[in-house]
Amino acid sequence: MTLNFSLPHETIYAGAEVSQVIIPGEAGEYGVTVNHVPIISQLQPGVLQIIHEDGGGETEKYFVAGGYALTHENSVTDVTCPEAVKLDDIDPDAVSKNYDTAKTAHASAELGSLAQAEAQIEMETNKAMGAAIGLTLA
Amino acid sequence: MSASSLRVSAKRAAPRVMAMIQRGMATEKQIYNQMISTKNIQKITSSMKMVAAAKLKGDETRLKLAKPFNTWTTALREEPKLCEDATFEELPQKCLIVPFTSETGLCGGVNSFISKSTKRCVKALIDDGKDCNIVVVGEKGRSQMRRPLGEKILTSASGVQYPGSFALASSLSTEVIKEFKEGDFDALVFIYNHYLNPATYQQMYQVVSMPKNSSEGNFLVGYECDGEWDETVDSMYEYMLASQMFYCYMDAGASEQSSRMAAMENATKNAGEMIDSL
Repeated sequence: MTLNFSLPHETIYAGAEVSQVIIPGEAGEYGVTVNHVPIISQLQPGVLQIIHEDGGGETEKYFVAGGYALTHENSVTDVTCPEAVKLDDIDPDAVSKNYDTAKTAHASAELGSLAQAEAQIEMETNKAMGAAIGLTLA
Repeated sequence: MSASSLRVSAKRAAPRVMAMIQRGMATEKQIYNQMISTKNIQKITSSMKMVAAAKLKGDETRLKLAKPFNTWTTALREEPKLCEDATFEELPQKCLIVPFTSETGLCGGVNSFISKSTKRCVKALIDDGKDCNIVVVGEKGRSQMRRPLGEKILTSASGVQYPGSFALASSLSTEVIKEFKEGDFDALVFIYNHYLNPATYQQMYQVVSMPKNSSEGNFLVGYECDGEWDETVDSMYEYMLASQMFYCYMDAGASEQSSRMAAMENATKNAGEMIDSL
């Protein structure tokens, strides 16, 4: 199947032939292989896994904070995100620090305010990022 | 009284006669001064040209990356079309037009071409009995279209920071979506300069129809959804809009830099000719 995976400032894959893509959708992770039924999914913060075709079948893991994945009839999948980062490039200390800052902001923000919603999103995203690299944040 | 007025007019005539004698041949000093000031202008335009050329390099790269980022949306919208010779007859009843212009001037014809295309589009729509409004992006467009199309302009986005980023496009699109929903429009029409190469750009218009409810979205028939269909499609269209605006903004930016480069090149050449003739 063909994968197009792009960010506004970087095209990660364009027309790449891969074996499978595991996408963190709203209802959980789902895998897409060739001839998958066309589907549209809003991405949740989580890990996007790309399994390559060659013999070794190596898996590339990216953390995505959001975006959309569209699988079309011709076995082409478009994944588009404002930002994505390779798991290896994530700094665990930065993630814990950001999580703690967001947690404090969430606690001190007014209930139901925009600030609280933003803090909550930060918390959830950082928590998912932590989980992706094996860091448990509470 | 007549005698004194005669004396006054005689006094006034005298310096005029003196000035005429002085104006005959320019002195060497005057020529020298003119050469210096023209040389300075030439230095400025030449450096503006080089700055524009450098910015263009960056813009070209950004545009090249923005294009694949936007290709996934081709399944959800029309192809962009040329503004030249366009009749605009396929546009729906109520349109929100978003022209992309620059913040600063001295960039050749980019902004006037957009203003012209926008005016033509508005006229075509009104002649067809349709309705439209405008959200202008860029200070130059706002000032150019303020008088002829003033009553059609809903709001404008000026002071946009260069270079654009996706975050910028997202906030722009949030504004546009707000106007779109409030005005109950049928479609958006982006009018922007499409960058072809450092010497050429064309005006294009891009129609994006937002389906009123999910069953209308003819592009989306046959797709499953793993979440709530309405919510997902709604959000996806907003994201697509940001993505599309990002692309248009990058395209317009590259065209602006290339046009500025050409304009400054001409100005430098003209200044050089002026110096040579002095």
